Parts: sequence; structure tokens; C-alpha cells
Amino acid sequence: MWHIIITSLPEMISAMLQYTIPLAIISFIFGLILAVLTALIKFIQPSENKLVRYPWLVLRAIANFYVWLFRSTPLLVQLFIIFFGLPSAGIELAPFLAAVIGFSLNTGAYASETIRSALMSVPQDQWYAAYTLNFTTRQTLMKIVLPQAVRIALPPLSNSFIGLVKDTSLASSITILEMFQVSQQITAKNYQPLLMYSLAAFLYAVICTLLTFLQHYLERRTSRYVKGSEA
Amino acid sequence: MITLKNVVKTYDDKTVLKDLSVDFPDGKTTVILGPSGSGKSTLLRSLDLLVRPESGTIDFGDISLDYSKPVSKKQSFDIRKKTSMVFQNWNLFPNLTVLQNVTTAPITVLKRPKKQTEQEARQYLAQVGLAEYADRYPSQLSGGQQQRVSICRAVAMNPEYVLLDEPTSALDPELETQVLLILEDLSKMGQSMILVTHNMEFARSVADKIIFVEDGDILFDGTPDEFFNHPTTRIKDFLSGITFNDTEK
Ligand SMILES: Nc1ncnc2c1ncn2[C@@H]1O[C@H](COP(=O)(O)OP(=O)(O)OP(=O)(O)O)[C@@H](O)[C@H]1O
Ligand SMILES: [Mg+2]
Repeated sequence: MWHIIITSLPEMISAMLQYTIPLAIISFIFGLILAVLTALIKFIQPSENKLVRYPWLVLRAIANFYVWLFRSTPLLVQLFIIFFGLPSAGIELAPFLAAVIGFSLNTGAYASETIRSALMSVPQDQWYAAYTLNFTTRQTLMKIVLPQAVRIALPPLSNSFIGLVKDTSLASSITILEMFQVSQQITAKNYQPLLMYSLAAFLYAVICTLLTFLQHYLERRTSRYVKGSEA
Repeated sequence: MITLKNVVKTYDDKTVLKDLSVDFPDGKTTVILGPSGSGKSTLLRSLDLLVRPESGTIDFGDISLDYSKPVSKKQSFDIRKKTSMVFQNWNLFPNLTVLQNVTTAPITVLKRPKKQTEQEARQYLAQVGLAEYADRYPSQLSGGQQQRVSICRAVAMNPEYVLLDEPTSALDPELETQVLLILEDLSKMGQSMILVTHNMEFARSVADKIIFVEDGDILFDGTPDEFFNHPTTRIKDFLSGITFNDTEK
């Protein structure tokens, strides 16, 4: 048994480092950017100025549609449409790029709701206090509201990230040789499904455990100001 | 001087400020009194545009503004620059240290130099007895201490008027006294203040002018002496109600 593990481990770790982890990290970064933009578009009330108001309402409609679309359809189906479907419409994407696009859009849709709820959880009084001090909306967001929202959004965002790491296994279905795909290939040769899939599961668990530590570290850092936290 | 004329504010179908006209003199402390729900906070918040009345005008030094017309960013900036609000629940920014709570607005909004602003802020904090708390977070302070910080935050913007909405209502008597002493000092220094309070003793000692609001109307506008020593029947009832004097009820 150890022999099998030791011989297949390098291949699996290499797939992990080459595809699983980069896919997860890159998609999460883009997803997060999308999520923040989407959340802000939905959260911020447009000013009365018509030149700002109408474009903003259009943006908001787009944001709503985007979140609805990606939360209402399975991730696997989204990946299939992007990779296998779009070529019929003349858009051909490399597997890795297709996967990054799919994962980013999907993560962005879910995380945008996380961030929006974190923004909403900052009391309205914080805005009033900022406005009486003549902060602009942007300054209030950057200096007061976002720092507080980040702390609240961290645990659910960590959920999204950990979920994404595991969801990268779906990339195998669009021809990417990520870790799970490699474990399948090795199984096809050595007929050890229990061992190989357990090994894959173990490696996913290792990544996710490290992420949990990262989450705890970030939580401590962003909670310095909270009562009862020692810092 | 701030002059409000014919101010009307309605929520849904309830008129909270009924064609109200009043002025707040410079360098004086004006105390707004009145029963709960009478419109005191609404009146105070109209002054720095946290509340937007439907009609009426405000004259504030060189600024004149018609509430029924759109207010430009510049107008609202200028009005808010002349005022600072102290809230009942102080509303400090929990993610910033005490010092940053006081300095962030002067530095970002007024573009004051950082070093000098921090020095001044430390002086304000020292004046309210919180010099050694500068680098703590608000959550590590008591309510009374937080309210003192919020007074520093308001004063650090060098406003013409400090607006205070029941600044001590959320504090126990001991903490309340700490805050009241500071406000008394400010008042003596000639800082223009407009203060909503339910503390009659304090109102009596600090007010240069008293406004009594009920149901969105101003029932009294005059000196503390008149208010406390020659009250109308309604004011007598109000004062006795607030001191729990059951026999007079
Ligand atoms: N945002 C709002 N929406 C609807 N009604 C409101 C709103 N704010 C205040 N009101 C109503 O307006 C009236 C006056 O409220 P306001 O807060 O000005 O009273 P107040 O005199 O400050 O009372 P208190 O002493 O309890 O603070 C109340 O009847 C209140 O219910
Ligand atoms: Mg009030």
C-alpha cells in the first residue's frame, strides 16, 4: 500500500500544484473582485443626479441578472456551456481559461451576496456619523465601512474559498488534468479506487486545513478592535 | 446665527415639524427640550441635513438654503463643515483607534497635516482626561469615555456649532457627570452649541436659551429663567413629570 501511495503521490501533488491550487487561487481573486463590484453596485444608493442615477440602475439590473443566473444553474453546466458550448458561437477558449472564467463567475455571484450582507450589517449610524464629518460615500466605504465589513465577511468568504478548492475537481470534466482527474487515471492502471480516491480526498483536506489556518489568522488580524479580542 | 424659517418635515402622513421657525444664536448654548417623539432629533438633524425637510429655509452665516430645492454637494459640504454632531450612542468608528477617530476626518476631509492634527487631537483627548487612551480601540473604553472621545471628534473639525442629541442619555449618572462637566466647559468657552437633553438640572445650568418642542411645534422659546421660574401650565406639567413628582400630576 505504501508503495502505491509513494509512487502516485508525486504525480498527484504535481497536478495539485499545477492545476488545482492555481485554479482555485486565480478564480478566487477574480471572483472576489467581481463580488465586491457587484455587491457595491447593489448596495450603494445612486444619488438623485439623473446622469448618475440611470446608468447606475442599469448596472444594478445587470448585477441582479448575473447573480441570479449563476446561482440558479449548476456549476458543472456552466463549465460545459463555457467550454463545450461557446465554440459553437465562435468563442473558443483554452480549458484552463474556460475553467477560470467559470469558477470566477460562479464564486463572484455567491460571494457578492456575502459581501453585500456584510456591508448591510454595518450600522446605518456609522454612515450618519461619517456624513456629519463630511466624508464622501467613497471615503466612508474605504475608511469605515469596508474594514468593518471585511471582518464579518471573512468566515463565509472562507467557506466560498474552501468550496472552490474542492469544486476545481469539476474541471476534470472539461479536460483539465487536475488532481482528481490524475487520481482517476492512476486508478485505471492500478485498480485501487479506494486507496487512490482516499488519497485525493486527503490531499484536498490538507489544502483546506491550511486555508482554515489562514482564515483564523486573518480573523485575528481583522478583529483586533473587537471587544474581548486580545491583540 | 442659524435661522430656520417655516420648516416642515413629514414622515409618511405624520407631520413631525409643523411650520417651525427658530433661531440659534452664536456663541451660546441653546437647549432643546420636549417629550419623547416631539421632533427634537428631527429638528437637530435638519440642521446638518441628516434629515431633509420638505420645505422651509435655513440661513447659516453666508449660506442660505431652501429645503424644498435640491441641495448641491457643495452646499451640504459647507453646512456640515460648520456643524459637528454628537450622537446619543456616540457612534465612534470601532475599527479605528481613539486617536484615529479624532484625526481621520480632519486629515481626509479638511486635508490638515497629519502630525499637527495628531498633536491637537492628543491635546483634546488630554483635556477630557483620555490622554493615555489614544491608541486603544473604542470597544476598550466605557460608554462615558467613548462619548468624551466623540466630543473630541466633533470639536476637532473646528465647527461653528456643535450639535448634541441626548449625549448622556445612554450613560449612568456617574459617567453622565464626566461628560456634562466637559460640555459645561465647552459652553463656558463660548462654543456655540445646540443640545437636546432630558437632564433638566443640566439644561438649567448650561442653557443660554431654551426651546420647548411638542408635537412638532415650538411651545416655548426664551430664557432658562423664564422657562424654569415662570413656566406655563404645560411646561409645569412637563417639568413635574420628568422629576417624578407624582403629587403634582
Ligand atoms: N425615519 C423615520 N421614519 C418615520 N418616522 C420617524 C422617523 N424618524 C422619526 N420619526 C417620527 O417622528 C417623530 C419625531 O421623532 P424624533 O426622533 O424627532 O423625536 P424626539 O423628540 O427626538 O424623541 P426622543 O426624545 O424620544 O428622542 C416621532 O413620532 C417618530 O416616530
Ligand atoms: Mg431624539
